[in-house]
Amino acid sequence: MKKSSWIIGSVFLFTLMLSGVASAKPIAALLFPLSGPFSAMGTDMKQGSELALEEINAKGGVLGQKAEVVMGDDEFKAPVAIRKYKEMVDGQGIKAIGGTLSGGISVAVNEWACKNKVLYMCFCHSSIPLGKEQCGYGFVSGMIPYQTGVATAKYAFQNLGKSWMIVTQDYRFGTDELSAWLTVSEKMGGKFLGNIYSPLGQVDYSAHIPKIAATNPEILVINVYGQSMDAIIKQLGEAGLTNKKMKFVIPKSHLWSIKAAGLIYNENFYGGHEYYWTLQDKFPKAKKFIEAYGKKYGVPPSQDADGGYTGTRALLEAMNAAKTTTDVAKLVKTLEGFKMDYNKGPEEFRACDHIRATSVVIVKGIGAKAKDWNFGEVVAEYPASETLESCENNKKDVPYGAVKLPGK
Amino acid sequence: MELTPTLIINQMLFGLALGAVYILMACGLTIIFGLLDVVNFAHGTFYMLGAFAAFVIVSLFGNFWLGLASAVIIVGLIGWVTETYLIKPLYGKDPLYPLMLTFGFSVAVTDLMRGIFGTIGKTVPLPQIFTGSLMWEGIFIPKYRVFIIFLTLGVLIFLWYFFKKTNLGMIIRAATRDSLMVRTLGINVPRIWTFGFALGVGLAALAGGVNSTIQSALPDMGVEMTIECFVVVVIGGLGSLGGAILGGLIIGQVISFVSLLASDWSNVAIFITMLLILLVRTRGLFGEAGRL
Repeated sequence: MKKSSWIIGSVFLFTLMLSGVASAKPIAALLFPLSGPFSAMGTDMKQGSELALEEINAKGGVLGQKAEVVMGDDEFKAPVAIRKYKEMVDGQGIKAIGGTLSGGISVAVNEWACKNKVLYMCFCHSSIPLGKEQCGYGFVSGMIPYQTGVATAKYAFQNLGKSWMIVTQDYRFGTDELSAWLTVSEKMGGKFLGNIYSPLGQVDYSAHIPKIAATNPEILVINVYGQSMDAIIKQLGEAGLTNKKMKFVIPKSHLWSIKAAGLIYNENFYGGHEYYWTLQDKFPKAKKFIEAYGKKYGVPPSQDADGGYTGTRALLEAMNAAKTTTDVAKLVKTLEGFKMDYNKGPEEFRACDHIRATSVVIVKGIGAKAKDWNFGEVVAEYPASETLESCENNKKDVPYGAVKLPGK
Repeated sequence: MELTPTLIINQMLFGLALGAVYILMACGLTIIFGLLDVVNFAHGTFYMLGAFAAFVIVSLFGNFWLGLASAVIIVGLIGWVTETYLIKPLYGKDPLYPLMLTFGFSVAVTDLMRGIFGTIGKTVPLPQIFTGSLMWEGIFIPKYRVFIIFLTLGVLIFLWYFFKKTNLGMIIRAATRDSLMVRTLGINVPRIWTFGFALGVGLAALAGGVNSTIQSALPDMGVEMTIECFVVVVIGGLGSLGGAILGGLIIGQVISFVSLLASDWSNVAIFITMLLILLVRTRGLFGEAGRL
């Protein structure tokens, strides 16, 4: 009897302790695809957010208190993301949410955030600043997909050739990139030879290889992301297409995919990145970020890590500046035109459409010369002024939103 | 895009290679179902484990062939242990129990692998001997795909010989039809079941090892494969090895040609194919042909 009382007492005490830990009120909820086809990138994004949170807390936290941020897995599914955000908003009174890594999921989350008057900081490539998606509550710390499309297409038509074919992941991100390529192609005299839609999550592209080989474009645009990108690069290499004249342009490339491709990612590959770690040579403040990230995770930060870091840090700093964690109107107003100097020199969230005005970097593969984390060389950087449409155009979702997509 | 005879032949060859991997997977699933009546929802998980086993061994010893062989042996042993300690206690109970168990097993192991290996894809380098394609008059196929086709052919010949010509194979076939009778002959039937399960998951591991060079090994890679594998098996007819082979060939060609003509339908096409076949033959193509 005495023994059982002791056990019950201990359990009660432990529960009490746990409830004490949980009582620190979270001020933001961040979700990432930690499982599914984009999990590697989602993990990067989460790590970027963790680092930003750690830095903010080391400097005194938010409103004088240690900032608590809930982080979780959206399983790469919009319904799961919305359910989890709703639980945290309704259950814990959170008024600021962030994260997600999908053009499609971010649009769905943005719509929900708008209806519920919750601030949403999207960390990925997202079209929420465009047309009807623009509702006043969404911000993007990544970029609009068409920006990497425009930058990579401009570079390709200036330097690599004119005839092109594209493999497009069939969802919002992919079709936005396709629109950008079609628009730039028309302006710069490109010769469009065809598009292949690829279902999300596809990992065997071998059935497309005969068509690509028969079409034989000067440029093959690999407009897919996540594990699909790893797979298609490897399979093009397996078929021996990567060592010929054909050039491969990836509007949104990623460190892990380059690493996974190994020697296949040779001098014929060009990738668009919102962030590339050798930018530390250009921006002194980036060095600190890269060192801190490398020390914590043992690898350099990818563009998704930068998107997570920038979005989280900006959100928490805006809370400090606005002196509130829950007054959404004040937070939105503070973030509009919010100036930052984190990892890419001075930048801001444009007040009119809430997009982080940032550059696109083009990285060329170096094949056998790749060593450690040095996978490529930066061959061009397109500032936001060259890739981002005006506020008026974004509001009307032109010109890219007006493009007639092949097969749609 | 003009549909030339060369393009059609190329598409058929790539479809054949695609189908070969499905055949390996589906044969494993069929053996398990035929022998144990277990709907193995963890089949894709064993495929994933095969890819990771190949990755680990190739990383340690730098030998692709050793990696491939080890994938089969290591995962086969994991299958042996799984069947012995997890599935065996559920025999004779509602078929839903092993189904739920294998489903739970797949979720748990996927999460475990995510914890161990992270979420970044692991790559097994393509052996030098297989880089590039075989070409003739515009017809081409990557050397590695040729290897996959011949490997699958070799496995099928082995399975045929094993089940038709060896004592153990014949005992397994007998046990699938009447395990009680086999037991009365003094044969350790539970051991036969364990062996059959290990053989089935070993085939899934072989497919995973084979694909680890052309895809990245990822903890989630088995999810889609499980679904596609079930489609193949249902098309062929549950429990029929011949059906698994025919189902794999059909799905390989369907994916290949739909990818060429209407690429955004390639995922849906396999389900439409299954639906059409089931409308005509509700038990699949070889569903009534018996087992193994």
